[in-house]
Formats: sequence, C-alpha cells, structure tokens
Amino acid sequence: MTAVLRLVAAARTYEDGSPVYALRATTLAIGQGEYLTITGPSGSGKSTLLNILGLLDVPDSGAYHVDGVEMTAQPEATRGAVRGQVFGFVFQAFHLLAGHTAAENVELGMLYGPWRRRDRQRLAAATLDRVGLAGRTLADPRTLSGGERQRVAIARAVAGGPRVLFCDEPTGNLDSENTSNVMSLLRDLHSGGLTVVVVTHDAAVAAEGERRLRVTDGIVTELEGDG
Amino acid sequence: MGMGRQARVALGITIERLTVWDWIWESSISIVRHPGRSLVTALGTALGTAAFVATLGLGSTLGRQVSDSFDARRATEVVVRPDEPNLDTAWQGRKGLDRLRGLNGVTAAGRRVLLPEHGIARAVAAPAHRFRVIGADPGALAAMIPELVSGRRYDDFHERHAANVVLLPQPVAEASGINRTGVAVFIGDRPYTVAGIFRDVARRPEALLAVVMPATTAERLEDPALPAERDVIIATAPGAAPVIGGQAPLALWPEEPGALHSVAPADPRTMRREIEANVTRISLVLSLVALVMGAISIANAATASIVARIPEIGLRRAIGARPVHIFAQLVGETTALGALGGLAGVGVGVTVVSTASLANGWPPVLDLRIATLAVGASAAAGLLAGLWPAARATRIQPVAALQR
Repeated sequence: MTAVLRLVAAARTYEDGSPVYALRATTLAIGQGEYLTITGPSGSGKSTLLNILGLLDVPDSGAYHVDGVEMTAQPEATRGAVRGQVFGFVFQAFHLLAGHTAAENVELGMLYGPWRRRDRQRLAAATLDRVGLAGRTLADPRTLSGGERQRVAIARAVAGGPRVLFCDEPTGNLDSENTSNVMSLLRDLHSGGLTVVVVTHDAAVAAEGERRLRVTDGIVTELEGDG
Repeated sequence: MGMGRQARVALGITIERLTVWDWIWESSISIVRHPGRSLVTALGTALGTAAFVATLGLGSTLGRQVSDSFDARRATEVVVRPDEPNLDTAWQGRKGLDRLRGLNGVTAAGRRVLLPEHGIARAVAAPAHRFRVIGADPGALAAMIPELVSGRRYDDFHERHAANVVLLPQPVAEASGINRTGVAVFIGDRPYTVAGIFRDVARRPEALLAVVMPATTAERLEDPALPAERDVIIATAPGAAPVIGGQAPLALWPEEPGALHSVAPADPRTMRREIEANVTRISLVLSLVALVMGAISIANAATASIVARIPEIGLRRAIGARPVHIFAQLVGETTALGALGGLAGVGVGVTVVSTASLANGWPPVLDLRIATLAVGASAAAGLLAGLWPAARATRIQPVAALQR
C-alpha cells in the first residue's frame, strides 16, 4: 500500500512563556484507503497532528509529503488547492452556513475547485442523496437535526471526490443513534476507497479504525500493528 | 513559482480563479440570506443618499418655484438716478427722455420729482394729513400703471401747463375724506383738482402712500433750499431690463457719462442660475458628508460582521479559498450593499421631494443624473469602506474553522 500522507520527523512547538511541545518529532505514513483513528486526552496534541496532516498548520521542523510532494515549503495557493481538491473536512461543530440551503452548503465544498456550477449542483444533489438527505436539499441547516447537519457536512466534504477525509470529533455533538449513523456513513465511504482520518474522544468511534493512534503529550504511538 | 506548478501537476490539482458569476452569486446570496446584517450595513448609505437626493430635489424645486413666482412686472423695471443729488436738473430734459423712449425694449419712461411730506387737507383751514408728494410726468405714470377706481390720468397738457391736478391712492383719499373725483384738496393754500383715485400700481409702490401730480406741478412746490430727489423710471419689455439698464444713463445725459446710474432688477434666469448654483454647492457639501457617513457606517458594520463570520471565513479557507477569494467576496458584498442602500435612499429621497411638492402644488424638479450619481457614489463608498475589513479578513487562518 503506497503512502498518501507521510510525516518525517515533523514537530510543532508553541511559544507560551515556555515552549509547549504540541507535537514532538513524528514520523508517520498513512496509506491510500486506510481508516485511521487518533485518540488522546484534551491538549495532547491530536488536533495539532490533524491540522498538520490537513495542511491547516505547518510543522516547525521536519517534512510532510502528500503523494510524495513535500508540502511545508509550498505556496499557500498550492496548499489551499490541496485542501480543496485532495482533502475533505468534517468538523465537530458542522460549520454549515446558515441562510444557505443544504444543497448550497454541499456545493460550497467545491466552489474553489475546478468544478463548473452545473457540475457542482449535480454532484451536490447526488451526494445528498447518497447520505440519505435527498428530500432535504432546500432545507436551511438551522431546521435540520444534529445528525442531519453532520450528514450535510460529510456530503460537503466528499462531494468533490477527495482522496482523504479528515474528521475532527465528527460525533462530538451527536447522540448515540446519530453517532452510529455517521459511523456507518464513514465506513461506507471508506469501503469506497476513501482514506479516512478521524480524531475522537469516543472509544467506540476509535475502535472503528483499522489502524489506531494515540497521542499523549505530543508523542504519537501506534495502538496496534500497521493496517 | 516552478515548484508550485510541479507540485500541482504531481498532485493532479489546479489553482482556480473564482468566475465572475460565482463571485456575484456568492456575494448576492450572502447579502440576501442575511437580511438583518445587510440592512444594518446598508442603512448608512441609504440615509445619506436619501438626505442628499431630498435636499437637492427640494432645493431645485424651490429654486424653480422662486424664479417662476418672480414678479414679472418687477423684472421689467429700471430706475435711473444721479450719483450726485445736486446734478443739473437738465438731465431729466425732454430730449434725453425722447432718446430713452426711442430705445428698443423701452415700453414707457418718464421723470419723477420726489418731494418730502406735505399736509393734505379738504379745505384751507381743515386738519391736514401728511403725505409725500410725487411728481410724475405722464410717461412715468404710464410706467407705473395706476389702477384707477374713478376718474382718469392727467396728460401732456397738464404736464406742459403745470396744472394743479392730482391722483390720489385710495387710502390717502379716504384719510382726506374724499370719495369722488373733481373735488379739490389743499396743499398749503393751493387747491388741486382730484383727477383720479387709484387702488394699486404695477410699479413703484411708494406711490400708494403719496399724492401724485405732474412733475412740473411738483417742481412749483419744491423748496429751493432743499432740492427734491429726481429719478427716471422705465418700463421695459420682458427680459430687456438689464440691457436698458446699461443704455439708459447715456441716452438720458450723454454730456456727462457716469453722472447717472441705473438700478435694474436681476435677470430671472441669472437669478435661477444663482439659486441653483447655491443649492448645488450646499448639496455637494451635504453629499460629501453623506458619502463619508455611509462609508463609515458600512466599514463599521462590515468590520463588526467579520468577527461574527470568522468561522465562515475560516471554513472557506479550509476548503480551498485563497485570501483573494475572501477579499473579493467581502468587497463585492459591501459594494453591492452600498449600491442597494443608495437605491433605497434615492427611493426615499424622491418620495420626500414628490410628497412635499404635491402638498404645496409645485411641480417637482428632479434630475435623473443626480439619482444615478447618488447610487454610483454609494457603491463607491461601499467599495472603499469594504477594503479595510476585507483586508483584515484575509488574515483569518483556516485553522480558525476548527475552533469550537
């Protein structure tokens, strides 16, 4: 299995009076089609790891390769294009735009990419159908339940056909029923070949991963053998 | 950026520009779907534009009204007076007056001799009321156009012979106990026949509180120690007054150019231009104030709303928006809101002007170019006001979207 994401001795330190080692030198390869979960206590550095993997943050030292291309020195335009066209993001707080319909929120995920408007609309409708929200395309997110909102957010993340899906506490705001709905949706997407990286507090969600990492005090450890 | 291009080819990605259509759509949808935020942002320009359009509209409506109601008779009147009160009375001579009457545009002209107050009485020993005495030759009478209620005007015959005839305005006749013509009034011990009684004049309203008699008759009452004021009054064709005003002194007294001066009313058209120029100047200042007010209000509202939109902006950056996309969208929004506020303001301003005009029965005067200009200026204010908050918004990092 080829590595789609590869960290080489990547470290991230924040200066807060004394240095805070959010991520100590980490070397990590994530293969295409892997389902990876990352757990760890609050402030352990798991969000920093996710931000660096998702190109939302830059390591202070070390290197980060996406598809063999070193990314830390790339211009912001290229990093942004990778985020928009290779990656998809799902957040705990959904981050749907109020006042925009479900379909418009899903289309927004493709706005800054190479898709034409007509294609964006077609893909958005198809993806909402796939996550079971075909009847809610014109709904304002404010009128949707938490589970429905997260499914719209997942549709936004995957409608453009990314290769890697990053989820930051995707079930953190959901009840158990909606959690299991979102879990099965992620499993479904993974079986379609998508690389899935999930940061979570929830042991049940973490157990879904075929490969599990734990972050403690900025140190990343494998909980089981490589997948 | 060779490295960037290589990387993009290797990764199979492209850097996209937002199409104009997508830019307009994203800005519009953001405005339309957040009516409260949009209203607050556009309110300043709406109020500023409304004030601007209403002021300018009311100003030009009033300006038109002033010059329309401008007394047409008063605008056709010229008075010539000597610079020095002791100028030789020959300047009022027949030859000069004939030359003056021959000028193109003069409809009537004549000389006047203005005496101080004299006692007017029904009989020699009767109690007298004091009124000014105005000596006016028939030419001056023709310029004044007294509106007679009884009797008739005196004529050249009376003027030539310094006949003792008078015209009395109605209030003076009543004060003296006179209600018909043909009777005598006394000034001092001299009797004068009342030839006519008038109730109004078209020009020189001071005649309404005076005794009017032939100029030659008046000169007999003149105190040699206290020379009377003398002038020549001219009625002109409409629009000719300024020109006649320039020609009359020389026509009357070519022997001494500059000894006489004329008082001609302002040309109504000049007056309208002046009023409109004043209105325009005031409106220009007002519009600048309104523009700055609108811009500040937009900048303020936009800056405030960006704090609330940090998650949205962070999200857009996280899913691939470049800083320029954020900048373009926010400036697009403030520009559109400026224009919309301007449009609404023009609507309000036009309503105010129309309502005020309708209530007063005036024809409203509104320049369509002003409305267009107001909307354009509001849009420009929106654009300028958006630059700073939009530039600040581009500094929002995508990781902000992940903050809970």
